[in-house]
Amino acid sequence: MRKVLAALAAIALLALPGTAAVAAEPSEKVIRVGVTQSVDSMNPFLAVRLVSGSLQRWMYGFLTVPDSKTLQPSADLAESWTTSPDGLTWTFKIRETKWSDGQPVTAADAAWTFNKMMTDDGAKTGNGPAVENFASVSANGQELTIKLKSPQASMLDNPVPIMPKHVWEKVPDISKYEADVYPTVGSGPYIAVESKKDQYVKLEANPNYWRGAPKIDELQMIFYDNPAAAIVGLKKGDIDLIGRLAPPDFESLKGDENIVQWNTDGRRATYLQINHGATTSDNKPIGDGHPALKDQRVRQALHYAIDKQKLVDEVQNGLARPADGSIIPPMYKDFFWEASGDQKVTHDLARANKILDDAGYTKGADGIRTMPDGSKKLAFRFSIHTDAPIEDKLAEYLTGWFKEIGIQLSTKRLDSSKFSEETGTTALFDIAISGWSVNPDPEEVLATHLCSRRPTASGEGGGTESFYCDPQYEDLYKQQQKELDRPKRAEIIKKMEERLYTDAPVIALYYPNNLEGYRKDRIASVTPIPEDKGILYGGSGYWPFYTLEAVTTETAAAEGGSNTGVIAGVAGGVAVLAIAGFFVLRRRQGAADERE
Amino acid sequence: MTATPPVSQPAVEALEETRARHGLLRYAATKAGGALVSIAMVIVATFFLFRLLPGDPVRALAQGRNMTPEQLDLERARLGLDKSLPEQFVQFVKQTLQFDLGTSYEYKRPVLDLIGERIGSTLLLTGTALVMAVSLGIWQGARAGWKPGSRFDKFSTAISLVLWSVPTFWLGLLLLMVFAAGVGPIPGVFPTRGISSVDAPEGFAYVLDVAQHMVLPCLTMVAVVYAQYLLVMRSSVLDEVGQDYITTARAKGLRDDDIRRRHAVPNALLPTVTLVFMRIGFVVGGAVTVEAIFSWPGLGQLFYEAIRVPDFTLMQGTFLLITASVIVMNTLADVVYHLLDPRVRSA
Repeated sequence: MRKVLAALAAIALLALPGTAAVAAEPSEKVIRVGVTQSVDSMNPFLAVRLVSGSLQRWMYGFLTVPDSKTLQPSADLAESWTTSPDGLTWTFKIRETKWSDGQPVTAADAAWTFNKMMTDDGAKTGNGPAVENFASVSANGQELTIKLKSPQASMLDNPVPIMPKHVWEKVPDISKYEADVYPTVGSGPYIAVESKKDQYVKLEANPNYWRGAPKIDELQMIFYDNPAAAIVGLKKGDIDLIGRLAPPDFESLKGDENIVQWNTDGRRATYLQINHGATTSDNKPIGDGHPALKDQRVRQALHYAIDKQKLVDEVQNGLARPADGSIIPPMYKDFFWEASGDQKVTHDLARANKILDDAGYTKGADGIRTMPDGSKKLAFRFSIHTDAPIEDKLAEYLTGWFKEIGIQLSTKRLDSSKFSEETGTTALFDIAISGWSVNPDPEEVLATHLCSRRPTASGEGGGTESFYCDPQYEDLYKQQQKELDRPKRAEIIKKMEERLYTDAPVIALYYPNNLEGYRKDRIASVTPIPEDKGILYGGSGYWPFYTLEAVTTETAAAEGGSNTGVIAGVAGGVAVLAIAGFFVLRRRQGAADERE
Repeated sequence: MTATPPVSQPAVEALEETRARHGLLRYAATKAGGALVSIAMVIVATFFLFRLLPGDPVRALAQGRNMTPEQLDLERARLGLDKSLPEQFVQFVKQTLQFDLGTSYEYKRPVLDLIGERIGSTLLLTGTALVMAVSLGIWQGARAGWKPGSRFDKFSTAISLVLWSVPTFWLGLLLLMVFAAGVGPIPGVFPTRGISSVDAPEGFAYVLDVAQHMVLPCLTMVAVVYAQYLLVMRSSVLDEVGQDYITTARAKGLRDDDIRRRHAVPNALLPTVTLVFMRIGFVVGGAVTVEAIFSWPGLGQLFYEAIRVPDFTLMQGTFLLITASVIVMNTLADVVYHLLDPRVRSA
């Protein structure tokens, strides 16, 4: 027994000097990015997670990228483009550059990528919707021609990475291909050279990159299974940057002199989704929403009852911006719409009460209002996720305010898959928490409120965020699709936001800030997107990671590392000796016992 | 000369031995048969159990991205979810019997491959932790039970019980913050995540690197479970203390430590052995919590992800593997018990 113990103790303690070996700092400029989502696939035709999307931005070229300053579409692999007058034919001139293996990039690569997705169902998993409107794609030298089925202004926000035809056409079955051949062949600023599942991805600077190689040698993406451990990793220096932090994790970085707390406008909106009489795609009622919520005045009263500033302060620790607009956050200046004047809804309980009084919802003896015909009390359910402390807190505040206007709110906690089923397909809810991350082109989030997104009668399909179906909104959506002039299109989109604001199938609460942290003793400079107070990780495009610069005082970093190593080594060595000595003594004593 | 030739004593013993061996074989066969039936039932239960879970995997897989109804249908067809439940079931049983656990919805890869990639790191972690916890538990339990009420007994039992009641997540994070990040004079010598460094060295240094990564997760696992071995061992040693053969050993003038080590402990080990074998079965399941805290790339993490989606095939696969290994290990425990303890044989 003791032998076993001794052996185990020795193994466990031997581990300590290992630090010394690891602490040898590479002389290259390496930046490590921590992520709390694991990579689902290195195959861009299959990957769907945000983390994989970020990797694709670093590894491959796209037709266009959002400009680092304005977020407007700008040239990437497509140098320039023209559109036919009917908006159906797009011609892109593909840049004359090289893949990381030295082969030339041509329009045939782009055509192959899109055609593969259009013809092979197995290749649709990752970005299928992006080619849905494509009628045909053809290549001629460096010229790529895409013919559309109907006009689509969001063409310049195409999310599909262009893949090297000469490498990928040899893959027999895309849907089963892991793409674990390294180094990868790409045309982005970095090349993946190694990947271990659920652990890390190593990328090296692409010397052939058309903008010029990045200023660092290696970029590592390191996976943490939980944010708390990642924060420890950042404080310790195991990682240099981490994005997408929750307010409490972000606040725990306070006071560390080596860490920069990065707090900017985010790309997300948090809103309430209201069951205003959900219907299926063939206009049949579905679900069990409260009839009072069909009344726009009731929804408006709810809106007046909410104190958004209070929610920001208490629920988001002040790390958000109260929403006086709709589903597009202020980060996207071109498309952001904000209510003003009479239209603006502010926290006003008296006004909310008056609206309900005027509409005939009278209060009963218990202070709860009833339907004008007296048939039903105004008691609503509020659906939130389980294990979401922020949403619990939100529910408490809403319940309090709604009580003040004679409306009873009860909280219903659901696990995430049940939640999305009840609030997105079966409509078994009254009010639900919701939110959406918005891309530089907001078409996707706007589309979540289209009639066609409602589920079929059998509960199939969908993708609706509100069960909304409004002729005015539909019409505006079609207009913006055809409008290729950006300012004009933005005006139409703002009208859509205004419609959502006043009709209130959704009520925007706040726009959570983008919270990140990075070590300034490791990262000398990083350019966010957009450049003035933008996002570092999880935004669109590769700008922040292409522009990364490492701190070059290598000695400082190396010293810190080897110190820890030495301490660990000494401590480990001493411990091992002590344990070994202890057991040797015990063994001697044991042997002596036997002899007696 | 009498009619019946006298049977020599050794011959009788040989006969009994043969009988016993046949008995063991029959016993093992019965147990194995029982295990097979259990596994078959688990296969059936697995399929239906996971379909009771709420949520539409296809929608969950869309992960908040917009998908048209056509695309959702396409995805559903790809996953075989467009077929009727009985059809899906027949397909599932057929595949499972051929050791094909299907393709993961989320990762789009064979479940068996995903398990294969992670089972090694899980076995390494949970296996090591199990050995350490068992050793520690048996060692402390034997000494505690030998002198019940002693300072050692009170101290070790109390500590083990406190650790047993501590939430794993809390303890793990605490260890991470103290020994990985470093607090005050304590240097943060251990890594914050994973099974090896990103720039892992080669050869023996790599072994050391992995061992170093294992220290904190292992410590967490050992700390929260070793109490059960300690308590079982303590109570069985306690049972032996008053036995006649112990008195005899004392009368022979043997040292107390020797009596404990050579006489009491071997006799008291049996219940602990059962417990250990039962636990070995769970080793495969890994430790979801510990793997999550230390970002250990193992099966627990895979299983957790699968439930979150929900990824039916992946859940089925991992669940089957875990239950099957528990069943197999329990069967093995029965057989080993039979070998170790004559009383089981006659029963």
